[in-house]
Amino acid sequence: METTEAECCTGPGYASPQEAIKAPKEKVVYTICIYTGTGIERPDYLATIDVDPDSPTYSQVIARTEMPTVGDELHHMGWNACSSCHDDSEMSRKYLIIPGVRTTNFYIVDTATDPRNPTLYKTIDGEEIKKKTNLSAPHTVHCLGSDIIVSMLGDANGNAPGGFLHLNKDFEIMGRWEKDITGMKFNYDFWYQPRHNMMVSTEWGAPNTFMPGFDLEDVGKGKYGQQIHFWDFKNKSIERTVDLGEEGLIPLEVRFHHNPDSTHGFVGATLSSNVFHWYKDDAGELQIEKVIDVDAIDVETFPVPMPGLITDILVSMDDKYLYFSNWLHGDLRQYDISDPSNPKLTGQVWIGGLLGKAPVVNGQAIAGAPQMIQLSLDGKRLYVTTSLFSTWDNQFYPDMKQAGGVMLIVDCDNENGGMTINKDFLVDFGKEPNGPARAHETRYPGGDCSSDIWV
Amino acid sequence: MKNREYLSFDVGEDEAIIDAVEAKGHLLPIGCRYGGCITCAAKLLEGKVRQPNGTALNKRQSSAGYILLCVARPKTDCVLEVGVESHDKLYVNPFSVSGGYVPPLKGNKK
Ligand code: FES
Repeated sequence: METTEAECCTGPGYASPQEAIKAPKEKVVYTICIYTGTGIERPDYLATIDVDPDSPTYSQVIARTEMPTVGDELHHMGWNACSSCHDDSEMSRKYLIIPGVRTTNFYIVDTATDPRNPTLYKTIDGEEIKKKTNLSAPHTVHCLGSDIIVSMLGDANGNAPGGFLHLNKDFEIMGRWEKDITGMKFNYDFWYQPRHNMMVSTEWGAPNTFMPGFDLEDVGKGKYGQQIHFWDFKNKSIERTVDLGEEGLIPLEVRFHHNPDSTHGFVGATLSSNVFHWYKDDAGELQIEKVIDVDAIDVETFPVPMPGLITDILVSMDDKYLYFSNWLHGDLRQYDISDPSNPKLTGQVWIGGLLGKAPVVNGQAIAGAPQMIQLSLDGKRLYVTTSLFSTWDNQFYPDMKQAGGVMLIVDCDNENGGMTINKDFLVDFGKEPNGPARAHETRYPGGDCSSDIWV
Repeated sequence: MKNREYLSFDVGEDEAIIDAVEAKGHLLPIGCRYGGCITCAAKLLEGKVRQPNGTALNKRQSSAGYILLCVARPKTDCVLEVGVESHDKLYVNPFSVSGGYVPPLKGNKK
């Protein structure tokens, strides 16, 4: 039965990606702020940032929701409910689930009671999760209907391969989600496409490997991943593992098309700095191909060529553009993926980075480079922050611990392509009241371009 | 602790150094508490400690004198440099040092 918007919009989110694109413009965004590894012994927190150009506090942090513990390293976060529950009037998008990757503590933050000042609603103790599931180091949080699934990168002692934690809608620990992880050496990000019973997961390394920092010796010893896994989503088991080989070292962020009927998706191989595209062909066979290759660059005095390091990728809600950041080189790129097998570079901007191309942006010295990106639902504003992970920040951008991170907006032309840095917006997390903080993932109250899935 | 005005603590032979420090109400960087995340690294300037093998420190970091306060137990009196200020030699950009594994990265253009 066809439903009109007035009839159907009882649950959270939107009926379709097309409806999401028409959503009202975001007024506030939430960003993870981190003191871990800065020398400031304070808990990490969730910053609420005013992004309404008509507001007197535009481009400022208007609230800080501090977690109770020091040293969590908040990292990624997800919602208790998204558009996958759009038909369920019992559900609402009320809580952000924010895990600490170093402690495995989970914080459930209420953003609905007052979206401009979120409050801590519940804490799940990391020790309890380790004890009940033998899992640690939480990463990606997705809801699947009323269940919440989190990729966990290690066992309780920080060894690979980890697995998937299952929480119910009341945030109770249900145990492990997956039935079979045969073939999985490591875990990292995942995304699913229910209409095709597909899920894809990627590989970073064991927490004991990546937590202390990035060491090329560990790559040589095979302690970082180069496989991606295609799951039988309903059966919770890996159906096919693809080794991406030498050109697919450390596949991290994974994105399906938003269109729930599509089988196309993309994954960024971070160390190799290549983007791979997969889809099912007319015969239902899985195809996977490298479609973007960012060259490494010989830096004077560096004996090893330096890769771009594609640390985050994102697909616009209309599935027309792919964005990604080269965290070491310092550029952000926009590709037209109307033909997903032949992406065309349509925009590029430079922010900080180790090549010295844009040390100062909007009058602000940048200690870092574009890293986490989040796009407005209408595809026009890309929110960018600069921190990757505290120990890796300290290796590549040691000044960030004194200077803090920044958030910028990059205006995107989503008709003809092109990107420009918005001159009026800058959040300098170096000026936070308790001292300079790193800034990581960003989300919007109503759902964004990496949160929602349609069943 | 050299860079905390030589604050000193009595640490039992079977006690993790961080536990003694925290018991006295002092804060130092801390994360996983099992030797896996390196947040609590400190530089051992004098003395000897016992710590389990297979912690998060790699060879380079250990030979630069780093220990992990969440798992290290003193064997002798120790002098430490603590906190993030002691981390100057803990982190290096791996592309800037030679002699190690070189991954197959294409391009090499300026
Ligand atoms: S707190 Fe993680 S290694 Fe000590």
